[in-house]
Amino acid sequence: MNVYKISIYTLLVIVLGCKPKFTKPNLTSGEIDATTFVSLGGSIAAGYSNGGVYYQAQKNSLSNLLATQLQLIGSADFKQPYVAESSIGIGNVNNAPSILSNRTDCQGVVSIGPVKIAAQGDVSIFSTNIFASQGPFNNLSVPDLKVIDADINGYNNPFYVRMASSNSSSILSDAILKKPTFFSLMLGLSDVLNFALKGGTADFVTPVAGSIGVGFDASITNVLNKLTANGAKGIIANIPSIKTMAYFNTIYYNSLKLDNATATSLTNFYAVLSPTIQFNEGNNGFVIEDVNQPLGYRQAVNGELILLNVPLDSIKCNKMGSLIPIPDKYVLTLSEIATIENAITSYNTILKNLANSKKLAFVDVNEFFTKVKAGFVYNGVSVNASFVSGGFYSLDGLNLTPRGNALLANEFINAINSNYQSNIPQLVATSYSGIIFP
Amino acid sequence: MIKYFFLLILSFPAYYFSQGFQVNLQGQKQQGMGGAGTAFIQDAATVFFNPGGMSFVANSVILGATPTIAKGAFQNANTNEISRTNSPVSYPFAAYGVVGLKDSSQLKFGFGIYTPFGSTVQWENGWTGRFALTRLQLRAIFFQPTISYKITNKIGVGAGFIYASGKVNLQKDIPIIDADGNYASAELNGKAEGYGFNTGIYFTPTKKFAVGLTYRSGIKMAVNNGTATFKVPASVAANFPNGKFTSKLPLPSVTTIGFKYEVNSKLNLALDINYVGWKAYDTLAFDYEVNTTSLLDTKSARSYKNTIAFRSGAQYAISTKLMARLGLAYGITPVQNGYVTPETPDANRINYTAGIGYQISNKFKLDASFLFTHLKRSDTNLETNLSGTFKTNVIAPGFSIGYIF
Repeated sequence: MNVYKISIYTLLVIVLGCKPKFTKPNLTSGEIDATTFVSLGGSIAAGYSNGGVYYQAQKNSLSNLLATQLQLIGSADFKQPYVAESSIGIGNVNNAPSILSNRTDCQGVVSIGPVKIAAQGDVSIFSTNIFASQGPFNNLSVPDLKVIDADINGYNNPFYVRMASSNSSSILSDAILKKPTFFSLMLGLSDVLNFALKGGTADFVTPVAGSIGVGFDASITNVLNKLTANGAKGIIANIPSIKTMAYFNTIYYNSLKLDNATATSLTNFYAVLSPTIQFNEGNNGFVIEDVNQPLGYRQAVNGELILLNVPLDSIKCNKMGSLIPIPDKYVLTLSEIATIENAITSYNTILKNLANSKKLAFVDVNEFFTKVKAGFVYNGVSVNASFVSGGFYSLDGLNLTPRGNALLANEFINAINSNYQSNIPQLVATSYSGIIFP
Repeated sequence: MIKYFFLLILSFPAYYFSQGFQVNLQGQKQQGMGGAGTAFIQDAATVFFNPGGMSFVANSVILGATPTIAKGAFQNANTNEISRTNSPVSYPFAAYGVVGLKDSSQLKFGFGIYTPFGSTVQWENGWTGRFALTRLQLRAIFFQPTISYKITNKIGVGAGFIYASGKVNLQKDIPIIDADGNYASAELNGKAEGYGFNTGIYFTPTKKFAVGLTYRSGIKMAVNNGTATFKVPASVAANFPNGKFTSKLPLPSVTTIGFKYEVNSKLNLALDINYVGWKAYDTLAFDYEVNTTSLLDTKSARSYKNTIAFRSGAQYAISTKLMARLGLAYGITPVQNGYVTPETPDANRINYTAGIGYQISNKFKLDASFLFTHLKRSDTNLETNLSGTFKTNVIAPGFSIGYIF
């Protein structure tokens, strides 16, 4: 009798109990109607990566990854202005995107680094307007888009021109055309970045004050007023400090490494005209151009940023940074950095206040990028802001890898869930690649 | 009084040996009774369970195996994604022999070969935690020559020397991807060795009651000449040189007190209480012979804590030839919150066991047992930040054949 019972229970356990079971939580959209999701942003939201826009980068754009998860709570098809899958893509100076590859420097040393896949990008991308064939679009993010340009009719940016609904439309008007029920707004970085990328020698930092199309405050308020006019809900992202980005953190102000003899001879060289410029064995501040100096040059000091596009061969082989000052366009001085960072701080205050007053979700991208710079581990993968090896920044040092976009999208999802009582699951960020190695 | 104490234990979820990566399937009769066997001396498996009681065992050999099926799964707390293990069936086995000059000799010699540690965890391809672990195979075989002396008809002492030989194979992916979309991977492979001992006292003041006390030492399994192999894209091959590594895996000491009570001629009850020295497993370190900026020696905190486990069982004689056994056990996990890993997604556990024994003849005895346990643990690992719930179901049917000389 006992034996029978035991046998029956044993069989039941084998049949029913072998494979562990989980119940997936029911997804709720909370206060969101995600039906029509529209994304407004700059390069990261557009799908710019490795120095250009191309099909795979668009597939892995921040906006598209966010849309993928919103589709789990009822969002409709998310239309992006895709370039052809076969196209090499194009960057914002008609350049081709880069891949990681072997290259030889001026000293004959072979190492891996970003190499453009062609002499020029696929300029045919800019020759055809695809609104009729592929639009209207949900992803209205455009590389280099500034807040002040978001509602300019006939905005003349080739990435927008190819997707515009007409010659006289604005990005914002095209967004409204979609009648969004939910939106993501990640604007403002280009308002400082174009200035920063030129070492403060060209372009400008968007002023806070001024009318729509001139000042940040009025322009962003206009964008949000129009987006929310019909009751749409959404998420606002703030702007990361440029100090968090690989582009400004790969070459240090004191990356000039000298042996004792070279240091002595350089110190002697500068001794008569500029006795304050001195060199020691080890790391030294680069000699940089500075128009505010009597002789037009000085040594870089702690806190100043050397840009990623500085010609390394000139530094290694042609005395740039030691005998020849590094040109101004490759350097952000302390005062330039202060201009940029103060603007970002002001923008972020405005963005936060707008999110509060309109009860929109708010994602602190600045805090997240700061966390990336410090480095963290995600599911066993270390993520940091190191160029190439960090896995977060793509080969342009500014925009993100697919994994970086997925991690950032998860921050958006967390902010949306906490503001709107939804429970959209995060992306499995480890399923998205970092830098691809040859 | 003692009788009621035993009934109380049996009616509650009883406490059992917690595991970590330990397997406790050393004897079929004992397994059928929740794993208790320190004071209930029945067969040559006593070589493992209590060397002190070995001198009370008839000259005999016993041979058994317990195919163990473990199905694991993980649900990521942030993404809801579910991953599963494809772990192969493992085959812990045990063989014991006990001899004396005569069956009634006071001095007996014994030998045990058994596999108290070991399993293979294989996660499905591309799972969330692939950069923490994709596959871990641990194997350890213990060889234990033992001597036991029956001081009087009521008390025996014994001791065995343990030589442990093991293998470890650990594989995981590295978050470096090549142009074909394949992730790099690492494989650490090595042989391990260690030494220890197993001692015990057995005391049976009355015919109905017995008590046993054992101490099995901890064993440091040292991998001194392991091989690290990396599959990485050519451009970073120099950063991940194939080469040697060393590591150590401490196996815990186990101190046990066990009781047996004979309720009547048909019913016996047994209880073992273990104190397991898992604190020894503080850090999992890998020391590579050649280091690079990408390949540094690693030290991962495991921070196991010492634990207590209870295991109890009953044996009922249906007839002179047929025995039925039931057991229930509870173990407290040595793995603290923040340290749960996909290698050993351990949790507090209840083990349900059952068994039967059949005497074919005066010489031959057959025993079979069955164990089921379910593990569930939610955690966020402090090192990898892997966050979610692990579940594991373990089914272990076992079988042994014994021969009495």
